[in-house]
Amino acid sequence: MPAPKIEFRNVTKIFHTRSQTIVAVQDYSMQVETGDFVSIIGPSGCGKSTLIRMLDGIIQPTSGEILIDGQKLDTSRRLPRDILRRMGFIFQKPNLLPWYTIRQNIALPNKIMGKLTKEDEAYMDSLIDMVGLTHYRDAYPVEVSGGALQRAGVVRAMVHKPEILLMDEPFGALDEMMREQLDIELLDIWKNLGITIVFITHNVEEAVLLSSSIYVMGTQPGRLLERVEIGLPRPRELGVITTERFAAYERKLTGLIGKLELKNIK
Amino acid sequence: MTALRRKRKPLQWVNLIAPLAVLAAIFLVCEIIARTSGISEYILPAPSKIVTGVWNKFPADISPHFLLTLRVTLLGFLLATALGMVLAALISQSGLVTKAVSPVIIWLVITPLITLIPLLTLWLGYDPMQRVYVVVIQATPIITLNTLNGFTNLDTEKKELAKAVGCTKLQRFCKITFMNAMPQVFTGIKLGCINATIAALSADIVSGNIGMGFKIKQYIKYNNIDLAYGSIILVALIGLVTYYIVESIEHKVVLWKN
Repeated sequence: MPAPKIEFRNVTKIFHTRSQTIVAVQDYSMQVETGDFVSIIGPSGCGKSTLIRMLDGIIQPTSGEILIDGQKLDTSRRLPRDILRRMGFIFQKPNLLPWYTIRQNIALPNKIMGKLTKEDEAYMDSLIDMVGLTHYRDAYPVEVSGGALQRAGVVRAMVHKPEILLMDEPFGALDEMMREQLDIELLDIWKNLGITIVFITHNVEEAVLLSSSIYVMGTQPGRLLERVEIGLPRPRELGVITTERFAAYERKLTGLIGKLELKNIK
Repeated sequence: MTALRRKRKPLQWVNLIAPLAVLAAIFLVCEIIARTSGISEYILPAPSKIVTGVWNKFPADISPHFLLTLRVTLLGFLLATALGMVLAALISQSGLVTKAVSPVIIWLVITPLITLIPLLTLWLGYDPMQRVYVVVIQATPIITLNTLNGFTNLDTEKKELAKAVGCTKLQRFCKITFMNAMPQVFTGIKLGCINATIAALSADIVSGNIGMGFKIKQYIKYNNIDLAYGSIILVALIGLVTYYIVESIEHKVVLWKN
Protein backbone atom coordinates (compact mmCIF):
# COMPACT_ATOMS: atom_id res chain seq x y z
CA MET A 1 0.00 0.00 0.00
CA PRO A 2 1.52 3.35 -1.04
CA ALA A 3 2.33 5.91 1.64
CA PRO A 4 -0.11 8.82 1.97
CA LYS A 5 0.80 11.91 -0.03
CA ILE A 6 0.75 14.05 3.11
CA GLU A 7 0.91 12.90 6.69
CA PHE A 8 0.90 14.84 9.96
CA ARG A 9 1.98 12.80 12.98
CA ASN A 10 1.20 14.33 16.37
CA VAL A 11 2.20 17.80 15.21
CA THR A 12 2.18 20.58 17.81
CA LYS A 13 2.94 24.24 17.31
CA ILE A 14 3.36 26.61 20.22
CA PHE A 15 3.84 30.36 19.77
CA HIS A 16 5.42 32.42 22.52
CA THR A 17 4.40 36.07 22.56
CA ARG A 18 5.56 38.72 25.04
CA SER A 19 2.55 38.21 27.27
CA GLN A 20 1.45 34.59 26.70
CA THR A 21 2.07 31.16 25.28
CA ILE A 22 -0.38 30.07 22.59
CA VAL A 23 -0.86 26.44 21.61
CA ALA A 24 -1.86 27.02 17.99
CA VAL A 25 -1.97 23.31 17.07
CA GLN A 26 -1.89 20.40 19.51
CA ASP A 27 -1.10 16.80 18.71
CA TYR A 28 -2.56 16.98 15.19
CA SER A 29 -2.54 13.91 12.98
CA MET A 30 -3.94 13.64 9.44
CA GLN A 31 -3.38 11.61 6.30
CA VAL A 32 -4.15 12.84 2.79
CA GLU A 33 -4.05 10.38 -0.09
CA THR A 34 -2.56 11.21 -3.50
CA GLY A 35 -4.98 13.15 -5.69
CA ASP A 36 -7.34 13.83 -2.82
CA PHE A 37 -9.10 17.14 -2.17
CA VAL A 38 -9.42 17.77 1.55
CA SER A 39 -10.59 20.82 3.41
CA ILE A 40 -9.80 21.94 6.92
CA ILE A 41 -12.47 24.04 8.57
CA GLY A 42 -12.90 25.52 11.99
CA PRO A 43 -13.41 28.78 13.83
CA SER A 44 -10.90 31.64 13.68
CA GLY A 45 -7.74 30.91 15.61
CA CYS A 46 -8.03 27.12 15.45
CA GLY A 47 -4.64 26.81 13.74
CA LYS A 48 -5.77 25.73 10.29
CA SER A 49 -3.54 28.23 8.47
CA THR A 50 -0.65 27.31 10.76
CA LEU A 51 -1.00 23.69 9.65
CA ILE A 52 -0.39 24.30 5.95
CA ARG A 53 2.31 26.85 6.71
CA MET A 54 4.14 24.11 8.63
CA LEU A 55 3.76 21.78 5.68
CA ASP A 56 5.24 24.38 3.31
CA GLY A 57 8.14 25.21 5.63
CA ILE A 58 6.95 28.76 6.31
CA ILE A 59 6.60 27.92 10.02
CA GLN A 60 8.52 25.26 11.93
CA PRO A 61 6.49 22.88 14.13
CA THR A 62 7.40 22.66 17.81
CA SER A 63 7.10 18.86 17.81
CA GLY A 64 5.75 16.01 15.71
CA GLU A 65 6.50 14.81 12.21
CA ILE A 66 5.37 15.85 8.75
CA LEU A 67 5.82 13.43 5.85
CA ILE A 68 5.38 13.72 2.10
CA ASP A 69 5.13 10.41 0.21
CA GLY A 70 6.37 8.70 3.37
CA GLN A 71 9.50 10.87 3.45
CA LYS A 72 9.95 12.75 6.73
CA LEU A 73 10.59 16.47 6.29
CA ASP A 74 13.45 18.04 8.20
CA THR A 75 11.39 20.89 9.61
CA SER A 76 14.22 22.17 11.81
CA ARG A 77 15.65 24.05 8.82
CA ARG A 78 14.46 25.62 5.56
CA LEU A 79 12.92 23.05 3.27
CA PRO A 80 15.12 22.18 0.29
CA ARG A 81 13.98 23.35 -3.12
CA ASP A 82 13.25 19.86 -4.42
CA ILE A 83 10.62 19.56 -1.68
CA LEU A 84 9.30 23.10 -2.18
CA ARG A 85 8.97 22.47 -5.92
CA ARG A 86 6.47 19.73 -5.11
CA MET A 87 4.15 22.22 -3.41
CA GLY A 88 2.32 25.36 -4.41
CA PHE A 89 0.96 27.81 -1.85
CA ILE A 90 -2.04 30.06 -2.44
CA PHE A 91 -2.47 32.86 0.07
CA GLN A 92 -5.64 34.40 1.47
CA LYS A 93 -4.80 37.63 -0.36
CA PRO A 94 -3.36 37.31 -3.88
CA ASN A 95 0.00 38.54 -2.51
CA LEU A 96 1.26 39.58 -5.95
CA LEU A 97 4.31 41.82 -6.18
CA PRO A 98 3.10 45.20 -7.47
CA TRP A 99 6.29 45.94 -9.42
CA TYR A 100 5.86 42.90 -11.65
CA THR A 101 3.25 42.36 -14.34
CA ILE A 102 0.76 39.54 -13.87
CA ARG A 103 2.89 37.29 -16.11
CA GLN A 104 6.10 38.17 -14.29
CA ASN A 105 4.39 37.43 -10.96
CA ILE A 106 3.21 34.07 -12.23
CA ALA A 107 6.70 33.22 -13.48
CA LEU A 108 8.26 34.03 -10.08
CA PRO A 109 8.52 30.47 -8.64
CA ASN A 110 10.23 29.18 -11.78
CA LYS A 111 12.61 32.13 -11.89
CA ILE A 112 13.47 31.74 -8.22
CA MET A 113 14.02 28.03 -8.56
CA GLY A 114 16.45 28.70 -11.35
CA LYS A 115 14.77 27.76 -14.56
CA LEU A 116 12.18 29.09 -16.94
CA THR A 117 12.47 27.00 -20.07
CA LYS A 118 10.49 27.46 -23.28
CA GLU A 119 8.30 24.54 -22.19
CA ASP A 120 7.72 26.23 -18.81
CA GLU A 121 6.70 29.43 -20.58
CA ALA A 122 4.33 27.56 -22.86
CA TYR A 123 2.81 25.75 -19.86
CA MET A 124 2.52 29.04 -17.97
CA ASP A 125 0.74 30.68 -20.89
CA SER A 126 -1.63 27.73 -21.19
CA LEU A 127 -2.54 28.13 -17.49
CA ILE A 128 -2.98 31.87 -17.97
CA ASP A 129 -5.34 31.18 -20.86
CA MET A 130 -7.15 28.46 -18.90
CA VAL A 131 -8.11 30.83 -16.07
CA GLY A 132 -9.01 33.70 -18.43
CA LEU A 133 -6.10 36.00 -17.69
CA THR A 134 -4.92 36.28 -21.29
CA HIS A 135 -5.78 39.97 -21.59
CA TYR A 136 -4.20 40.82 -18.24
CA ARG A 137 -0.86 39.11 -18.68
CA ASP A 138 1.05 42.38 -19.23
CA ALA A 139 -1.02 44.42 -16.77
CA TYR A 140 0.22 45.35 -13.31
CA PRO A 141 -1.67 44.05 -10.25
CA VAL A 142 -3.00 47.51 -9.44
CA GLU A 143 -4.80 47.52 -12.80
CA VAL A 144 -6.85 44.34 -12.46
CA SER A 145 -9.84 43.21 -10.39
CA GLY A 146 -9.74 41.17 -7.17
CA GLY A 147 -10.98 38.03 -8.91
CA ALA A 148 -8.32 38.25 -11.61
CA LEU A 149 -5.62 38.83 -8.98
CA GLN A 150 -6.72 35.75 -7.07
CA ARG A 151 -6.69 33.71 -10.30
CA ALA A 152 -3.12 34.93 -10.87
CA GLY A 153 -2.25 33.79 -7.33
CA VAL A 154 -3.67 30.34 -8.12
CA VAL A 155 -1.74 30.08 -11.39
CA ARG A 156 1.49 31.25 -9.70
CA ALA A 157 1.18 28.38 -7.25
CA MET A 158 0.73 25.87 -10.09
CA VAL A 159 3.22 27.13 -12.64
CA HIS A 160 6.05 24.86 -11.47
CA LYS A 161 3.75 21.79 -11.72
CA PRO A 162 3.46 21.00 -8.01
CA GLU A 163 2.01 17.71 -6.80
CA ILE A 164 0.37 19.40 -3.80
CA LEU A 165 -1.59 22.63 -3.70
CA LEU A 166 -1.97 24.34 -0.32
CA MET A 167 -4.74 26.92 -0.28
CA ASP A 168 -5.24 29.25 2.66
CA GLU A 169 -8.79 30.64 2.42
CA PRO A 170 -7.98 31.74 -1.13
CA PHE A 171 -11.41 33.06 -2.05
CA GLY A 172 -12.43 34.36 1.38
CA ALA A 173 -12.09 38.01 0.45
CA LEU A 174 -14.17 37.75 -2.73
CA ASP A 175 -17.90 38.23 -3.17
CA GLU A 176 -20.17 35.17 -3.21
CA MET A 177 -20.63 35.01 -6.99
CA MET A 178 -16.94 35.33 -7.74
CA ARG A 179 -16.12 32.74 -5.06
CA GLU A 180 -18.55 30.19 -6.51
CA GLN A 181 -17.17 30.74 -10.00
CA LEU A 182 -13.60 30.25 -8.80
CA ASP A 183 -14.62 27.16 -6.80
CA ILE A 184 -15.92 25.56 -9.99
CA GLU A 185 -12.79 26.58 -11.90
CA LEU A 186 -10.71 25.05 -9.10
CA LEU A 187 -12.59 21.76 -9.40
CA ASP A 188 -11.82 21.76 -13.15
CA ILE A 189 -8.14 22.40 -12.49
CA TRP A 190 -8.03 19.64 -9.87
CA LYS A 191 -9.74 17.21 -12.21
CA ASN A 192 -7.46 18.08 -15.15
CA LEU A 193 -4.15 18.11 -13.29
CA GLY A 194 -4.82 15.38 -10.74
CA ILE A 195 -3.01 17.17 -7.92
CA THR A 196 -3.53 16.79 -4.17
CA ILE A 197 -5.23 19.81 -2.60
CA VAL A 198 -5.41 20.90 1.03
CA PHE A 199 -7.94 23.71 1.23
CA ILE A 200 -8.41 25.93 4.27
CA THR A 201 -11.75 27.68 4.63
CA HIS A 202 -14.28 28.81 7.19
CA ASN A 203 -17.06 28.50 4.64
CA VAL A 204 -18.94 25.22 5.18
CA GLU A 205 -20.76 25.32 1.82
CA GLU A 206 -17.49 25.81 -0.05
CA ALA A 207 -15.84 22.96 1.87
CA VAL A 208 -18.69 20.52 1.10
CA LEU A 209 -18.80 21.54 -2.57
CA LEU A 210 -15.08 21.00 -3.13
CA SER A 211 -13.87 18.27 -0.81
CA SER A 212 -13.69 14.51 -0.55
CA SER A 213 -13.17 14.79 3.18
CA ILE A 214 -13.33 17.62 5.68
CA TYR A 215 -11.27 17.94 8.85
CA VAL A 216 -13.01 19.98 11.56
CA MET A 217 -10.74 21.74 14.01
CA GLY A 218 -11.46 23.15 17.46
CA THR A 219 -9.82 26.05 19.22
CA GLN A 220 -7.88 26.63 22.43
CA PRO A 221 -5.88 24.60 21.75
CA GLY A 222 -6.18 24.09 17.98
CA ARG A 223 -6.86 20.38 17.47
CA LEU A 224 -8.60 17.91 15.21
CA LEU A 225 -12.17 17.18 16.34
CA GLU A 226 -13.72 15.19 13.56
CA ARG A 227 -13.20 13.98 10.02
CA VAL A 228 -16.26 14.03 7.78
CA GLU A 229 -16.24 12.07 4.50
CA ILE A 230 -18.18 13.79 1.71
CA GLY A 231 -19.80 11.12 -0.41
CA LEU A 232 -21.27 13.41 -3.07
CA PRO A 233 -20.68 12.15 -6.63
CA ARG A 234 -18.12 13.78 -8.89
CA PRO A 235 -17.82 15.73 -11.10
CA ARG A 236 -19.64 18.32 -9.04
CA GLU A 237 -21.30 21.45 -10.32
CA LEU A 238 -22.96 24.33 -8.52
CA GLY A 239 -26.34 22.62 -8.80
CA VAL A 240 -25.27 20.07 -6.18
CA ILE A 241 -25.73 22.79 -3.53
CA THR A 242 -29.51 22.48 -3.86
CA THR A 243 -29.60 18.71 -3.17
CA GLU A 244 -30.78 17.23 0.13
CA ARG A 245 -27.55 15.26 0.63
CA PHE A 246 -25.53 18.45 0.32
CA ALA A 247 -27.80 20.19 2.83
CA ALA A 248 -27.41 17.26 5.25
CA TYR A 249 -23.59 17.54 5.16
CA GLU A 250 -23.85 21.28 5.55
CA ARG A 251 -26.18 20.94 8.57
CA LYS A 252 -23.87 18.41 10.21
CA LEU A 253 -20.77 20.60 9.79
CA THR A 254 -22.57 23.81 10.71
CA GLY A 255 -23.80 22.09 13.85
CA LEU A 256 -20.26 21.02 14.75
CA ILE A 257 -18.78 24.45 14.19
CA GLY A 258 -21.77 26.13 15.84
CA LYS A 259 -21.14 24.14 19.02
CA LEU A 260 -17.50 25.20 18.93
CA GLU A 261 -18.40 28.86 18.51
CA LEU A 262 -20.88 28.60 21.41
CA LYS A 263 -18.23 26.97 23.55
CA ASN A 264 -15.83 29.80 22.71
CA ILE A 265 -18.40 32.42 23.68
CA LYS A 266 -19.10 30.64 26.99
CA MET B 1 3.07 49.19 -21.78
CA THR B 2 -0.15 49.23 -19.90
CA ALA B 3 -2.61 51.95 -18.97
CA LEU B 4 -0.50 52.77 -15.90
CA ARG B 5 2.00 54.70 -17.97
CA ARG B 6 -0.45 56.16 -20.45
CA LYS B 7 -2.74 57.64 -17.82
CA ARG B 8 -0.04 59.65 -16.09
CA LYS B 9 0.79 61.99 -19.00
CA PRO B 10 -1.96 64.61 -18.52
CA LEU B 11 -1.21 64.63 -14.80
CA GLN B 12 2.45 65.50 -15.50
CA TRP B 13 1.41 68.61 -17.42
CA VAL B 14 -0.75 69.74 -14.51
CA ASN B 15 2.17 69.06 -12.16
CA LEU B 16 4.39 71.29 -14.29
CA ILE B 17 1.97 74.09 -15.06
CA ALA B 18 0.49 74.53 -11.57
CA PRO B 19 3.76 75.32 -9.75
CA LEU B 20 4.90 77.55 -12.64
CA ALA B 21 1.65 79.51 -12.33
CA VAL B 22 2.22 79.95 -8.57
CA LEU B 23 5.81 81.10 -9.21
CA ALA B 24 4.60 83.58 -11.82
CA ALA B 25 2.02 84.92 -9.36
CA ILE B 26 4.67 85.36 -6.64
CA PHE B 27 6.94 87.08 -9.17
CA LEU B 28 4.14 89.46 -10.14
CA VAL B 29 3.09 90.29 -6.56
CA CYS B 30 6.71 90.92 -5.51
CA GLU B 31 7.25 93.10 -8.59
CA ILE B 32 4.16 95.21 -7.77
CA ILE B 33 5.10 95.54 -4.07
CA ALA B 34 8.73 96.42 -4.89
CA ARG B 35 7.68 99.13 -7.37
CA THR B 36 4.80 100.66 -5.45
CA SER B 37 5.35 100.18 -1.71
CA GLY B 38 8.53 102.15 -1.29
CA ILE B 39 10.27 99.24 0.46
CA SER B 40 14.03 99.69 0.17
CA GLU B 41 15.85 97.82 -2.63
CA TYR B 42 18.17 96.41 0.04
CA ILE B 43 15.21 94.50 1.46
CA LEU B 44 13.10 93.72 -1.60
CA PRO B 45 14.60 94.33 -5.03
CA ALA B 46 12.19 94.03 -7.93
CA PRO B 47 12.21 90.50 -9.36
CA SER B 48 12.73 91.92 -12.85
CA LYS B 49 15.91 93.61 -11.59
CA ILE B 50 17.10 90.34 -10.10
CA VAL B 51 16.53 88.53 -13.39
CA THR B 52 18.22 91.27 -15.45
CA GLY B 53 21.17 91.45 -13.05
CA VAL B 54 21.76 87.69 -13.06
CA TRP B 55 21.30 87.55 -16.84
CA ASN B 56 23.98 90.21 -17.36
CA LYS B 57 26.44 88.95 -14.76
CA PHE B 58 26.08 85.21 -15.28
CA PRO B 59 28.44 84.59 -18.21
CA ALA B 60 31.50 86.33 -16.82
CA ASP B 61 30.99 86.78 -13.10
CA ILE B 62 28.66 84.07 -11.76
CA SER B 63 29.16 81.05 -14.03
CA PRO B 64 32.54 79.78 -12.65
CA HIS B 65 31.11 79.85 -9.14
CA PHE B 66 27.84 78.30 -10.24
CA LEU B 67 29.55 75.48 -12.11
CA LEU B 68 31.75 74.64 -9.13
CA THR B 69 28.80 74.51 -6.73
CA LEU B 70 26.87 72.48 -9.28
CA ARG B 71 29.72 69.97 -9.62
CA VAL B 72 30.21 69.72 -5.86
CA THR B 73 26.48 69.27 -5.24
CA LEU B 74 25.89 66.66 -7.95
CA LEU B 75 29.04 64.65 -7.30
CA GLY B 76 28.47 64.69 -3.54
CA PHE B 77 24.82 63.79 -3.99
CA LEU B 78 25.56 60.85 -6.31
CA LEU B 79 28.27 59.52 -3.99
CA ALA B 80 25.97 59.95 -0.96
CA THR B 81 23.18 58.08 -2.76
CA ALA B 82 25.43 55.15 -3.64
CA LEU B 83 27.05 55.08 -0.19
CA GLY B 84 23.73 55.46 1.65
CA MET B 85 22.13 52.60 -0.26
CA VAL B 86 25.11 50.26 0.09
CA LEU B 87 25.36 51.00 3.83
CA ALA B 88 21.63 50.38 4.29
CA ALA B 89 21.82 47.12 2.32
CA LEU B 90 24.72 45.88 4.45
CA ILE B 91 23.23 46.97 7.78
CA SER B 92 19.82 45.46 6.99
CA GLN B 93 21.32 41.95 6.62
CA SER B 94 21.46 41.58 10.40
CA GLY B 95 18.68 42.46 12.82
CA LEU B 96 21.20 42.96 15.59
CA VAL B 97 23.37 45.31 13.52
CA THR B 98 20.24 47.24 12.44
CA LYS B 99 19.21 47.71 16.08
CA ALA B 100 22.74 48.72 17.08
CA VAL B 101 23.42 51.12 14.22
CA SER B 102 20.00 52.79 13.72
CA PRO B 103 20.32 55.17 16.72
CA VAL B 104 23.75 56.27 15.45
CA ILE B 105 22.31 57.03 12.01
CA ILE B 106 19.45 59.00 13.58
CA TRP B 107 22.01 60.90 15.65
CA LEU B 108 23.96 61.72 12.47
CA VAL B 109 20.78 62.86 10.69
CA ILE B 110 19.83 65.18 13.55
CA THR B 111 23.32 66.66 14.01
CA PRO B 112 23.97 69.55 11.60
CA LEU B 113 27.20 68.14 10.26
CA ILE B 114 27.86 71.34 8.32
CA THR B 115 29.11 72.76 11.63
CA LEU B 116 32.11 70.49 11.10
CA ILE B 117 33.07 72.27 7.88
CA PRO B 118 35.89 74.34 9.42
CA LEU B 119 37.32 71.18 10.94
CA LEU B 120 36.97 69.28 7.67
CA THR B 121 38.68 72.13 5.82
CA LEU B 122 41.53 71.82 8.29
CA TRP B 123 41.77 68.08 7.68
CA LEU B 124 41.12 67.96 3.96
CA GLY B 125 42.62 71.23 2.78
CA TYR B 126 41.27 74.15 0.74
CA ASP B 127 40.85 72.43 -2.61
CA PRO B 128 37.27 73.37 -3.62
CA MET B 129 36.55 69.82 -4.69
CA GLN B 130 37.21 68.66 -1.12
CA ARG B 131 33.78 70.14 -0.40
CA VAL B 132 32.34 67.03 -2.02
CA TYR B 133 33.18 65.20 1.22
CA VAL B 134 31.12 67.73 3.19
CA VAL B 135 28.16 67.07 0.92
CA VAL B 136 28.60 63.31 1.26
CA ILE B 137 28.80 63.53 5.06
CA GLN B 138 25.67 65.69 5.24
CA ALA B 139 23.52 63.78 2.71
CA THR B 140 24.44 60.15 3.39
CA PRO B 141 22.79 59.61 6.81
CA ILE B 142 19.29 60.66 5.70
CA ILE B 143 19.52 58.41 2.61
CA THR B 144 20.81 55.52 4.73
CA LEU B 145 18.07 55.99 7.34
CA ASN B 146 15.17 56.00 4.87
CA THR B 147 16.61 53.19 2.77
CA LEU B 148 17.23 51.09 5.88
CA ASN B 149 13.63 51.63 7.00
CA GLY B 150 12.50 50.42 3.59
CA PHE B 151 14.75 47.36 3.65
CA THR B 152 13.67 46.31 7.14
CA ASN B 153 9.93 46.84 6.72
CA LEU B 154 9.01 43.90 4.52
CA ASP B 155 5.51 42.75 5.45
CA THR B 156 4.77 39.22 6.67
CA GLU B 157 2.88 38.24 3.51
CA LYS B 158 5.84 38.97 1.25
CA LYS B 159 8.20 37.18 3.65
CA GLU B 160 5.92 34.15 3.50
CA LEU B 161 5.80 34.33 -0.29
CA ALA B 162 9.60 34.40 -0.40
CA LYS B 163 9.73 31.27 1.77
CA ALA B 164 7.00 29.51 -0.19
CA VAL B 165 8.78 29.97 -3.54
CA GLY B 166 12.16 29.02 -2.04
CA CYS B 167 14.01 32.35 -2.25
CA THR B 168 17.60 32.43 -1.05
CA LYS B 169 18.53 35.40 1.14
CA LEU B 170 20.07 37.17 -1.87
CA GLN B 171 17.07 36.44 -4.11
CA ARG B 172 14.69 37.72 -1.45
CA PHE B 173 16.71 40.93 -1.19
CA CYS B 174 17.06 41.50 -4.94
CA LYS B 175 13.60 40.46 -6.12
CA ILE B 176 11.39 41.43 -3.19
CA THR B 177 12.96 43.51 -0.41
CA PHE B 178 14.77 45.97 -2.68
CA MET B 179 11.81 46.74 -4.92
CA ASN B 180 9.42 46.82 -1.95
CA ALA B 181 11.62 49.49 -0.34
CA MET B 182 11.68 51.72 -3.43
CA PRO B 183 9.16 54.34 -2.18
CA GLN B 184 11.20 54.85 1.01
CA VAL B 185 14.50 54.74 -0.90
CA PHE B 186 13.31 57.56 -3.15
CA THR B 187 12.10 59.58 -0.17
CA GLY B 188 15.61 59.26 1.27
CA ILE B 189 17.23 60.24 -2.03
CA LYS B 190 15.00 63.32 -2.37
CA LEU B 191 15.82 64.43 1.17
CA GLY B 192 19.47 63.69 0.39
CA CYS B 193 19.34 66.00 -2.62
CA ILE B 194 18.00 68.84 -0.44
CA ASN B 195 20.71 68.21 2.16
CA ALA B 196 23.38 68.05 -0.57
CA THR B 197 22.44 71.49 -1.90
CA ILE B 198 22.44 73.04 1.58
CA ALA B 199 25.76 71.39 2.42
CA ALA B 200 27.44 72.55 -0.81
CA LEU B 201 26.30 76.14 -0.28
CA SER B 202 27.33 76.08 3.39
CA ALA B 203 30.78 74.76 2.49
CA ASP B 204 31.13 77.59 -0.06
CA ILE B 205 30.20 80.20 2.56
CA VAL B 206 32.55 78.90 5.22
CA SER B 207 35.65 78.10 3.22
CA GLY B 208 37.48 79.32 0.15
CA ASN B 209 36.98 82.09 -2.39
CA ILE B 210 35.03 80.30 -5.06
CA GLY B 211 31.54 78.88 -5.22
CA MET B 212 28.05 80.33 -5.00
CA GLY B 213 28.19 80.66 -1.21
CA PHE B 214 31.28 82.79 -1.50
CA LYS B 215 29.67 84.83 -4.30
CA ILE B 216 26.49 85.49 -2.27
CA LYS B 217 28.63 86.63 0.68
CA GLN B 218 30.53 88.95 -1.66
CA TYR B 219 27.38 90.42 -3.27
CA ILE B 220 25.92 91.16 0.19
CA LYS B 221 29.21 92.71 1.30
CA TYR B 222 29.14 95.09 -1.71
CA ASN B 223 25.41 95.81 -1.40
CA ASN B 224 24.46 94.03 -4.64
CA ILE B 225 21.34 92.67 -2.98
CA ASP B 226 19.56 91.88 -6.28
CA LEU B 227 22.50 89.71 -7.37
CA ALA B 228 22.65 88.07 -3.93
CA TYR B 229 18.95 87.14 -4.25
CA GLY B 230 19.54 85.98 -7.81
CA SER B 231 22.45 83.80 -6.73
CA ILE B 232 20.38 82.26 -3.94
CA ILE B 233 17.66 81.43 -6.47
CA LEU B 234 20.25 79.88 -8.81
CA VAL B 235 21.51 77.61 -6.02
CA ALA B 236 17.94 76.68 -5.13
CA LEU B 237 17.44 75.78 -8.79
CA ILE B 238 20.24 73.20 -8.55
CA GLY B 239 18.40 71.49 -5.69
CA LEU B 240 15.02 71.90 -7.35
CA VAL B 241 16.05 70.46 -10.71
CA THR B 242 17.86 67.55 -9.04
CA TYR B 243 14.79 66.92 -6.88
CA TYR B 244 12.48 66.81 -9.90
CA ILE B 245 14.84 64.56 -11.86
CA VAL B 246 14.82 62.11 -8.92
CA GLU B 247 11.03 62.39 -8.69
CA SER B 248 10.57 61.68 -12.39
CA ILE B 249 12.78 58.59 -12.06
CA GLU B 250 10.67 57.57 -9.05
CA HIS B 251 7.50 57.86 -11.15
CA LYS B 252 9.00 55.53 -13.74
CA VAL B 253 10.24 52.99 -11.19
CA VAL B 254 7.53 53.03 -8.51
CA LEU B 255 4.66 52.44 -10.91
CA TRP B 256 2.37 50.91 -8.29
CA LYS B 257 2.49 53.91 -5.92
CA ASN B 258 0.17 55.95 -8.15
